[in-house]
Amino acid sequence: MPNSRRLSNAASRRHLLLPYVLVAPAVAVLLALSIYPLIYSITVSLQVGDAWSIGNFTRLASDNFFLTAMAHTFVFAVAALSCEFLLGLGLALLLNSQIRGRGFFRATLLVPMMLPPVVAAIVWRLLLNPNFGAINGTLKEIGINTEALTWTASPSLAMMSVIAVDVWQWTPFVFLVLLAGLQAIPQEPYEAALIDGSSRWQTFWHVTLPLLKPAILIVLLLRTMDLLRVFDQIFILTEGGPGFATETISLYIYRSAFRFFDFGYAAAMSFVLLALTNVISVVYIRLLRNESRA
Amino acid sequence: MSRALKYLLLFLSLVAALAPVYWMVTISLKSEVDHFASPPPWFSFTPTLEHYYEAFVTRSFAQYLVTSAIVAVISTLCALILGTLAAYALARFRLPYELDRKLSLWILSTRMFPAIVTAVPLFLMMRDLRLLDTKASLIIVYTAFNLPFVVWMMRGFFDEVPRDLEEAALVDGDSRLGALVRVVLPLVAPGLAATAVFCLIVSWNEFLFALVLTQTDASMTLPVGIAGRVTQYEIKWGVMSAAGAVAIVPILVFAMAMQKYLVRGLSLGAVKG
Amino acid sequence: MRLTRSLTALLLLVITVGCNRDPQPARKELTIAAISGVEGEALKQAAVDYETQTGVHITVTEFPYANLFEKELIDLNARTGAYDLIMLDDPWFPTFATKQLLTELTPLLQKRGQNGPDTDFIDASIAVCRHPYQSGSLYALPYVGNSQLFFYRKDLFEKHSLKAPATWDDVLTAAKTIQEKESGSGMYGYVMRAAQGNAAVADFMPIFWAFGGEMFDASGKPTVNTPEGIAALEFMVQMGKYSPPGYASFNADEVGAHLLQGTAAMSINWPAWIGKFDDPSKSKVIGKIEFTTLPGARKPGQAEIGNWLIAIPRTSRNAETAMDFLVWATTAEQMRRSALRGNPPTRKSLFRDPELVAKYPAYPAQMRSLETSRPRPRTPQWNEIENAFGIFLSKANSGALTPAEAMNQANAELEKIVQRGQ
Repeated sequence: MPNSRRLSNAASRRHLLLPYVLVAPAVAVLLALSIYPLIYSITVSLQVGDAWSIGNFTRLASDNFFLTAMAHTFVFAVAALSCEFLLGLGLALLLNSQIRGRGFFRATLLVPMMLPPVVAAIVWRLLLNPNFGAINGTLKEIGINTEALTWTASPSLAMMSVIAVDVWQWTPFVFLVLLAGLQAIPQEPYEAALIDGSSRWQTFWHVTLPLLKPAILIVLLLRTMDLLRVFDQIFILTEGGPGFATETISLYIYRSAFRFFDFGYAAAMSFVLLALTNVISVVYIRLLRNESRA
Repeated sequence: MSRALKYLLLFLSLVAALAPVYWMVTISLKSEVDHFASPPPWFSFTPTLEHYYEAFVTRSFAQYLVTSAIVAVISTLCALILGTLAAYALARFRLPYELDRKLSLWILSTRMFPAIVTAVPLFLMMRDLRLLDTKASLIIVYTAFNLPFVVWMMRGFFDEVPRDLEEAALVDGDSRLGALVRVVLPLVAPGLAATAVFCLIVSWNEFLFALVLTQTDASMTLPVGIAGRVTQYEIKWGVMSAAGAVAIVPILVFAMAMQKYLVRGLSLGAVKG
Repeated sequence: MRLTRSLTALLLLVITVGCNRDPQPARKELTIAAISGVEGEALKQAAVDYETQTGVHITVTEFPYANLFEKELIDLNARTGAYDLIMLDDPWFPTFATKQLLTELTPLLQKRGQNGPDTDFIDASIAVCRHPYQSGSLYALPYVGNSQLFFYRKDLFEKHSLKAPATWDDVLTAAKTIQEKESGSGMYGYVMRAAQGNAAVADFMPIFWAFGGEMFDASGKPTVNTPEGIAALEFMVQMGKYSPPGYASFNADEVGAHLLQGTAAMSINWPAWIGKFDDPSKSKVIGKIEFTTLPGARKPGQAEIGNWLIAIPRTSRNAETAMDFLVWATTAEQMRRSALRGNPPTRKSLFRDPELVAKYPAYPAQMRSLETSRPRPRTPQWNEIENAFGIFLSKANSGALTPAEAMNQANAELEKIVQRGQ
């Protein structure tokens, strides 16, 4: 038990106030920039035209565009997250082992993450162009028939293309966080497992993964939040097409707000999205808390 | 897994990661006819600097670059300072009614609201504050963007530092904040560096709010300028790639410099749970 | 304490840097929101000329097509006064005019001794500047005289003894012939924009109208799923068979690339492209492309007009100066200068001007196209309608729906939108 200081009244009051003083500026900034938007959004979502009504919310249930966009968003998020996680984990494991040039690989693998998403999307749009893009061009050179590979123009391949671009850009982030997590694991458990005669796979499953859980949950949480809100890349790559095939919820919200000038509807959709994101995050956070208590 | 296989996989990943960026750089150096040539000239083409000239001399990309730099650096600094102070408070103090935990959760939740809908009310707010089309509006907004991340990351790092060191400093007569600055901060410096890199990336690359809150060249940032090359009849790939190539350089340099801290920093903190 | 001092210093730094604006100069200033690309370029040049002549400093801020509309709408609605002049694609005009965001121009013209826009302006161009269409008050002046042209490779047509296409059936025959006969060189008979939204709708309307389709009946009810409408969409999908793969997501840049690279023989497009075809750093088909008016079918061919208009927001603080510039920029002399730089004019005299016709042999075709053009439906809900319609057009072209299904679903969606607007 550390020694406790004997404090005078003034000093003790200052001491009690200190945490509040420290937190205040951050909280103030966040409050200022979230309170007004929140109130505005709530107000506007409960108005249809000039009248108060829940019309915006009831409209959601029968709006095919909205429901399809939500479905697309989840498909996108789950697929991208799985790929990013598996690839990121693989890369992290590779780089955590004894190989030469670790620093070099680590540095260069981060490059995709540093591009502005707008630029990345535009570059990929050029690469994926069915007739002039380098991808099809190179495939043609090695003899593959690219007639059907219209990527962002094909209803079946468009979603895959859009997911691929996100995976390309954000796997480095997942890889970085997981690598950090791996390197934070102390040697003892591994040594113990070795002594116990565990196989590589068993060590991985029973030692590495559990100790990596906090890192995994954090990265899944952060990526999920961002994937559900994805906008920039899809907007530039396909603008939601072809024929709505890649329209996610944020694109639909954007259109409603900025093109159709229907802020009430956009706000209503945002609240639904917010609620869902909240639920998912609570699940993650509960899991995270269980881990830190364990 | 054999060494050779490992190197092969890493090499393939490297190619996958860098090829598109390489392609972008080559586009910036190719003349327009070559952009769509078939088969794609990965290596053989006559380079030209016309796109760089157009971007930075004829058009205002140099100005966008400076604006982006100012906005990114200042907003990162603000977020780091405010966020670290808050994170320290939340890590070290138990507040009544579990306020510290609730505050942490609330701070994180502000990151969840789809940005698109906050764009309009924030636009109206900035208009009323006469801050439209200024760098200040972007700085304020980006600070708010980065705060939740900073608070969460730094709180994790602070949780890792044992209290004894501060207690010792306090007993020696130091003030609370003094202990923070002189004893704790050096220990979490790698974490701070890692967080700084991420904040810079976010502010540097942000698009939607920059688009909404800026109205003229006076305050436009690089992503807005680059997206502006997507005209109705042609995408000015050359100019855009030139700007994109330059846009990535400062981040790359900074990240490479902080690189060794990135992993160490992250491993100190939140990821350990 | 040190920390407080540093924080204060930082705060001061933020404020100084952030709010740094040039001190208000004594001279007059204008800010224009323009479309980035070839159409905005002409206006930019005009602005530079104006400044040299009068000393009024003009800042032109460009935005991509995808963002210009919302940028302008938000700024005008929020009454920020940031822009003194804005460029509008004519389909956007009803939205802005209905919301009363624009300054009426007739009083300003009268102050300058004119009763209205002079008769040299092409009627179709002035008509879209009025709210209600054709008969109402004037809220803008037309600057870029775009209306669709039909582009085709005359060298290939000659090679295969095809006559210039006058009907859409001619187009289909020619596309088939050329693609079959030129299959070795990777040539496609036709190329079009079918990306959902503005692209698909813009390229579809001429076919739709030529087949006898109408988007709305006299009472405003959507009628896209009439037999004529469905036939038109079926035709478009058929043309798709002779278009490069992936055309269902093409926008203007892909269409342009195909034409410039010489891999497509025909297309609908806008006059703004013409200059590029003779630019050796961009084109592989110099001198091979011919332009004509749009083909007909059941009804004579009608191009879709797509003029860029310039309007003065109601909230501009420099309306008089803005009007001075607008009037100046749309005089015959100034429009002639911008025409020489590649901007399609909106004045009859310029389309007949010998020097310009010599430089732009497509002018007679352009003028015919403009004079017989028709606009897209003038409704303030156009953006929503175009978006929904475009989605279904794109779905039909990508094979996700049959043309009949697509039109029926589109009609249902349009009905919902129209109902909401009432």
